[in-house]
Amino acid sequence: MGVLENKARARLFYKYLSKVYDRVNPFVWNEEMRAEALSLLDIEPGDRVLDVGCGTGFGTEGLLQYTDDVHGLDQSAHQMEKAFRKFGKRGSVRFYRGDAERLPFKDGSFDLVWSSGSIEYWPNPVAALRELRRVVKPGGQVLVVGPDYPKSTVMQRLADAIMLFYDEAEADRMFAEAGFVEVEHHIQQARPGSPRAITTVARAPEA
Amino acid sequence: MKESLMDIICCPMDKHDLELEVDDRNDEEVLAGTLVCTECGERYPIEDGIPNLLPPDMRD
Repeated sequence: MGVLENKARARLFYKYLSKVYDRVNPFVWNEEMRAEALSLLDIEPGDRVLDVGCGTGFGTEGLLQYTDDVHGLDQSAHQMEKAFRKFGKRGSVRFYRGDAERLPFKDGSFDLVWSSGSIEYWPNPVAALRELRRVVKPGGQVLVVGPDYPKSTVMQRLADAIMLFYDEAEADRMFAEAGFVEVEHHIQQARPGSPRAITTVARAPEA
Repeated sequence: MKESLMDIICCPMDKHDLELEVDDRNDEEVLAGTLVCTECGERYPIEDGIPNLLPPDMRD
């Protein structure tokens, strides 16, 4: 019951936020940070890549610089409207509506899985991380960007009340529990004083 | 939805194969139709070419 309630709330929150998302986004997660995150990955042209929680398509846009075979999944069609406008609803990017915790893809379908700014809305992040590991090929990379836990007490309280933030120790625990190996974290920040993003690159075990 | 995607998509609930029922298509894409789980029978709509593979409890 609680889980479903949270998901419904997250959907409403996203619907509201999508109106201002790309305008607000650069302060938290900008093109420079996206480029830095992409440089942590081994993406070959032609690799099949999944963007989980693609939303307005900001991460999708970056992935397209590396490969043509990009697939975007989001629970909200409303949130994806901007992405449809950018890349076409039935253009080179393949879009799906779906749930990160119950992905509609067969095991090992993707060379790489990317998810930026989505994990904080997943009611059960470990379940979703397990799904990310399942759909990437054995030995493949998964990159997850989520906001770092804020330093100020007031912000922490707010963050805890509305969504999930986590630090490196918590990220280690979640990725290990989801069955990843070679987990590394990079703290990213647009400028001093702005919110910090924690970017995790992990590898699925070889078969 | 391109038909070749049938190779990678599956039922989000039990991960079994899906069967494609086409209502409308053009040369490249399935524009409208239904994806049916071969195991549990759950039906997932293809809306304006976008497969809606949300679990039934999350649909609008």
